[in-house]
Amino acid sequence: MRSLAPLWLVAMSALDPAGEQAGHIAGTFWLFTGVLSAIYLLVLVLLLGALVRSRGGLGREPAVERRLTRFLAAWAGGTAVIILGLTAVSYATDVRITGKPTQPELTIEITAKQFWWQVRYVDPEPSRTFETANEIYLPVGVPAHVILKSQDVIHSFWIPNLHGKKDLIPGRENETVITAEREGVFRGQCAEFCGFQHAHMALDATVLSRDAFEAWRESQLAPAQAPVDDAQEQGQQVFLTSACVMCHTIRGTTASSRVGPDLTHLAARRSIAAGTLPYSRGNLAGWIADPQGLKPGSQMPNVTLTAQQLQTLLAYLDGLT
Amino acid sequence: MPPAAAAPADDGNWVMPAKNYASTRYSELDQIDTRTVGDLRVEFTFSTGVERGHEAAPLVVDGTMYIVTPYPNRLYALDLTQPGAPVKWKYEPKPAAAAQGVACCDFVNRGAAFSDGRLFFNTLDNFTVAVDAATGAELWKTRLGDINKGETMTMAPLVVKGKVLVGNSGGEFGVRGWLTALDAGTGKIAWRAFATGPDSDVLIGPEYQPFYAKEKGKDLGVTTWPPNQWEIGGGTSWGWISYDPELDLIYYGTANPGPWNPEQRPGDNKWTGGIFARNPDTGQARWFYQVVPHDLFDHDGINELILLDMPVDGHPRKVVVRPERNGYVYVIDRGTGEVLSADLFAYVNSSSGVDLKTGDLKYVEAKQPHMGQVVREICPTAPGAKDWNPSAFSPRTGLIYIPHMNVCMDWESIEANYIAGTPYVGANVRMYAGPGGNRGELSAWDPVKRAKAWSIKEDLPLWSGTLATAGDLVFYGTMDGWFKAVDARSGVELWRFKTGSGIIGQPVSYRGPDGRQYIAVLSGIGGWAGAIVAGDLDPRDPTAVKGFAAAVPDLKERTTKGGMLYVFALPRK
Amino acid sequence: MSSPCRGNNGICLLLACLLVLAGCEREERQTRAEPVNETGPAAVSMTGLYPGEPSPPDPRGQEYEGNAFHLAQGKQLYTWFNCAGCHAHGGGDIGPALIDDQWIYGSGIENIYATIVQGRPNGMPSFRNKIPEQQVWQIAAYVRSMSGQASKAASPSRSDEMQNKPAEQSMPQEEPKDSSGSVPNLDGRQ
Repeated sequence: MRSLAPLWLVAMSALDPAGEQAGHIAGTFWLFTGVLSAIYLLVLVLLLGALVRSRGGLGREPAVERRLTRFLAAWAGGTAVIILGLTAVSYATDVRITGKPTQPELTIEITAKQFWWQVRYVDPEPSRTFETANEIYLPVGVPAHVILKSQDVIHSFWIPNLHGKKDLIPGRENETVITAEREGVFRGQCAEFCGFQHAHMALDATVLSRDAFEAWRESQLAPAQAPVDDAQEQGQQVFLTSACVMCHTIRGTTASSRVGPDLTHLAARRSIAAGTLPYSRGNLAGWIADPQGLKPGSQMPNVTLTAQQLQTLLAYLDGLT
Repeated sequence: MPPAAAAPADDGNWVMPAKNYASTRYSELDQIDTRTVGDLRVEFTFSTGVERGHEAAPLVVDGTMYIVTPYPNRLYALDLTQPGAPVKWKYEPKPAAAAQGVACCDFVNRGAAFSDGRLFFNTLDNFTVAVDAATGAELWKTRLGDINKGETMTMAPLVVKGKVLVGNSGGEFGVRGWLTALDAGTGKIAWRAFATGPDSDVLIGPEYQPFYAKEKGKDLGVTTWPPNQWEIGGGTSWGWISYDPELDLIYYGTANPGPWNPEQRPGDNKWTGGIFARNPDTGQARWFYQVVPHDLFDHDGINELILLDMPVDGHPRKVVVRPERNGYVYVIDRGTGEVLSADLFAYVNSSSGVDLKTGDLKYVEAKQPHMGQVVREICPTAPGAKDWNPSAFSPRTGLIYIPHMNVCMDWESIEANYIAGTPYVGANVRMYAGPGGNRGELSAWDPVKRAKAWSIKEDLPLWSGTLATAGDLVFYGTMDGWFKAVDARSGVELWRFKTGSGIIGQPVSYRGPDGRQYIAVLSGIGGWAGAIVAGDLDPRDPTAVKGFAAAVPDLKERTTKGGMLYVFALPRK
Repeated sequence: MSSPCRGNNGICLLLACLLVLAGCEREERQTRAEPVNETGPAAVSMTGLYPGEPSPPDPRGQEYEGNAFHLAQGKQLYTWFNCAGCHAHGGGDIGPALIDDQWIYGSGIENIYATIVQGRPNGMPSFRNKIPEQQVWQIAAYVRSMSGQASKAASPSRSDEMQNKPAEQSMPQEEPKDSSGSVPNLDGRQ
């Protein structure tokens, strides 16, 4: 599922809604823009008219005032009506985008950490629960109930094409609903300053057809690919005997730590380090060799590996599709 | 009454910590009784040379006493026929010192088991050893686990039909629990039943007929866990095993699921926190009852199971009785696994009862742990209303003497990271006394009437076992070193003696070579409850010792480390 | 009392700058240790007995103990790498207490570094090759702060978890008794 498009080509636009909630928000945005633009233009026109007419001198009759008073009253009334109307629209949109489905078909739990996203797909059947990192996949047309938690500081979950922003606050659970309506590849980002690398805390969102989504889910449930050749075998040994095992999980091995992202299906992801780099073996090599050079202040430390160790490790990780 | 086959007549020996297969811990010797116990005095002592928690029961077989010490797990044989009981031989398994780093709750050992001229016991670094009882020569030594996975072994084995049954420890280290049967002659593994994983590993096959619907299903040891979590799921068997020779079933429990943080393991988490009945020859499961589905509070299900034949609602039933960690006394039909009753013996607010129709424990929503939030005043605490320390049953009074605690806790779940060989817990806990202020209690429970007959409140938690005798006495020890005898019928204290260190061991009674009745107990504070003294820890941090430090911050002033065997008897006439 | 700054804006500004600069060391963030392969101490003394004068302590000690970022990272890593599983929040459990004055293997930051990397015979695991060197320094510095040995200005001032011991900044400074505590129990085989 790796897109070959460079990340900067992936649009992140709230005005290009691909989801139901984003559609409501965009619609409200355009309504407000339209109404307020119209009013703005009207005011400009009136102002222009006032400027033009005032050139004819200042000795106006008081009688004109009465007409103006009625006009002003109508103007004030109209303004009030428009404000109330827009408020009502805003309120209605709010209600519509925060409604929670009673029987959510899909539940996703996202825990934000500095500076990455831990994503858990929850299922009533516990053995069908799985975890991934820095990416979410959504089926078209299915409302996804997203539960938002934070491990450390306040972050904000924002996929502009699909929904508005929702904070992840430590110590509480927030929730939101996302209904994607169009297949495609989108990008999300942390929208609340959370520390040194707040700018490099992005999220890949992919919307698939229902069948493709189920296929993806099945592939994620499977444990990690076993090594197929010597290089991968050695690479797995490097993983298990050096610092990697202190922070990462690869299901199917003894590595099961949650400090860092779950790497079970790393090679199937579109980007690494929370959207900092597109996934490729070369980028992965650079990331492992010097993470603090690429994302200084992130929690991945510089680990000393020999060139041989790094190469075999890459062979192993690149096979984790 | 205990079933006759499982509780044969007392021959004056004490061949296994539970006394017999029915686990009555009852001595038929009555030379020391309520009238004479006031004269009880120390006959001899023996220093084990180890200063950690002494949880073992001394064994006595035909004039020789056998003691297993905490790490380094020395086995001593004392010659009771000689004055002062000199050491006949000693066996030193020399376990790996690094095993001390993966033992959650002090380096204890709960004792050996004697059978057919051989002694069997476990070492901290996962060996089961067979030693010739007469000479101390090592017969075999089998390695069963790996400390690098966080495994240790602390339990006392049980020998059934030529098989030595042993279980591992390490639920706090993400260990996969098991019960293994070794051939008593050769030490080879006969069968191994895991506590999690597919049915083929858990030895669940055609013989398996659980009573409740919730225990039925295929590969529940996998499907009730998130993927691959069962591999580090806990369910160790570090406690007690009982055996019914008539039904030919062994009964034992599985401990807590790992990690303590329940949100990391949604699902029922089978087969942890429950009671298994198995065929001792093949290990195949007959029934299982999960006491704490999706355990929330580290309520291991490994306590003792006392076999009784008693009337339930007027009809005679064959049952096992278990004073459980979650505060209920369970009476379970030992043929089918049906829960006949579950009654509170301690203050509990984290659950509201057991539904006898479905077998479910009804958890209280307000007391469920949540990540990042502190839930306060959860009763009973993580070590439970009663931990491993075993109760005793007296057929003369019909009462079960339960040594337990009255401690509550605050709990905060945090994310647990599994790194093999390091703790896999995920909770900050802080404990303190429950309602009433007393941290311990000895309750005399009537299983037929399903109520307490009497109880004694203790200031410190009770972590020692109890002994009941035909002299209508109950013996137990406190954590500050008092060894006490109370009247079995009324609970009146009749005698006490201050030993050198806190008592967390199991008292036993035997007939010595000179025909007199003796009472023996090991004194040496430690275990989870006493680790603050045994490890010289700092009570300024209330979360020390997984929260227990806050429950006994005064323990360092009340007792000191030690390791001594005390043997008492009445003065010679 | 008259303020020295009254009417002397230039001196005021200078004083303010000096104060600000003084905080820089506490706040400096070194995300990549220099040199890149941060190394451990070559040899560590485990006793207070020397012929002649003692060797100077490792200068990295002050660098890590006086820096708030390193101490805060150390505090996080202490929980993440399960140090808290055996040592609780300093009170001890399976491992000894870290907030008291008893140190079996030496209380200096380089001694703590060595203990973490080498492991110890009675149950301390060896984290050699498992925790990168810079992070070991951070954890060692944090352990020092638990008994009040690190700079009070840089020590963490509160905990984000359930209230346990007072925050490191408020912990009383213990006087380390090196090579005290239990004698290593080497009855085991290795």
